[in-house]
Amino acid sequence: MLKCTFCGRRAAYNRRYAGVLLCDRCLIKSVEKRFRRAIAEHKLLLPGERVAVAVSGGKDSVAAMHLLVEYCRLKNCELVTITIDEGIKGYRDQSIGVARDNAKSLGIEHFVVSFKRIFGATLDQMARRARARKTELNPCTYCGVMRRSLLNQAARELEADKLVTAHNLDDEVQAIMLNYVRADFSRLHRLGPAYSPREGFVPRIKPLREIPEKEVALYALLRGLEVHLAVCPYVGGIHTEIRDFLNLLEANHPNSKFMILRMFDRLKPQLARIVPEFEMRRCKSCGEPTSAIICKSCELLKGLGLRRLRKTLISPKSS
Amino acid sequence: MTHIKVTVKHVGKKHKREFRLGPHATIADLLKELGHNRETIVVRRNGKIVVEEECLADGDLIEILPIVTGG
Ligand SMILES: [Zn+2]
Ligand SMILES: [Zn+2]
Repeated sequence: MLKCTFCGRRAAYNRRYAGVLLCDRCLIKSVEKRFRRAIAEHKLLLPGERVAVAVSGGKDSVAAMHLLVEYCRLKNCELVTITIDEGIKGYRDQSIGVARDNAKSLGIEHFVVSFKRIFGATLDQMARRARARKTELNPCTYCGVMRRSLLNQAARELEADKLVTAHNLDDEVQAIMLNYVRADFSRLHRLGPAYSPREGFVPRIKPLREIPEKEVALYALLRGLEVHLAVCPYVGGIHTEIRDFLNLLEANHPNSKFMILRMFDRLKPQLARIVPEFEMRRCKSCGEPTSAIICKSCELLKGLGLRRLRKTLISPKSS
Repeated sequence: MTHIKVTVKHVGKKHKREFRLGPHATIADLLKELGHNRETIVVRRNGKIVVEEECLADGDLIEILPIVTGG
């Protein structure tokens, strides 16, 4: 049996990048500390703010919700939960119940916004249409763009000051690498602990950004939280390859993920000078903020022969 | 030195497999043989989450829980 570097109890995790072993209690404490430190260091939340957290029911978002509850109680913040139901059969239908159960047990208001209700089609239906119409776009593109837009709008309608997403270290480093590979400057420079572009956008914050995925998972498991641990049927392609590559790198060279993150954070201020400024307008079709005439969501919908059914997301009954 | 026998179960899947390993084999050795990256899984040994450097013992039940889910 191997012992915790800090307290001598049985170790549950080998934090190789730091050269320490952690027991269940010390791991939980460490994750909570890093979460609070990220908020303080980057001023992610201010006392008394209204906070919306995006919760899918997966380990990261459920952990974020539980971490936030304690933080918000201390800082007099109000917390609400938003779940986007993309309509992925056998996956999201199961995780929504987990999100709902967690919100209920914590006494947090919970709102579900579904693709079907707003766009008239589930992601499964969009994926079929995309294939039939040979749009050459994969389901993750539709899902990512539309979910982000709905989350922002829902948070704005709920009058949230901040929108929390549960991106962990692995998610962030994968996004950095993906944008390098695609040479996508504008997406790259939007990454970071907080992103608050301008009017119409609720500032998005990522308090788990410096916590490795495995530590978030361990936090949820060791605390005995109810989480949905399943793989999205649509994951694949370059995203998976980058993820696997980074995990191989980290296994063979511990600390690689943090080094990639630190390097990016140092480069980021320079990027602002390269990325062109853009004018913010309102989408002609749905009214959401965009830099183009019509927003990306509406453009994708049009390509699928669909159109948005509702402008407003949160009705008094959707909670 | 005699070999040790452990049972491996993937959480969420039904079947179990038995593995024979050399004495002093660790969980990390077993993961290598199974082709698992430690970054993507959590290991339970006889019901307890443990570090991959622990040595295996005859009769251990090793459960492998995938944690990388995406979305
Ligand atoms: Zn300890
Ligand atoms: Zn639009």
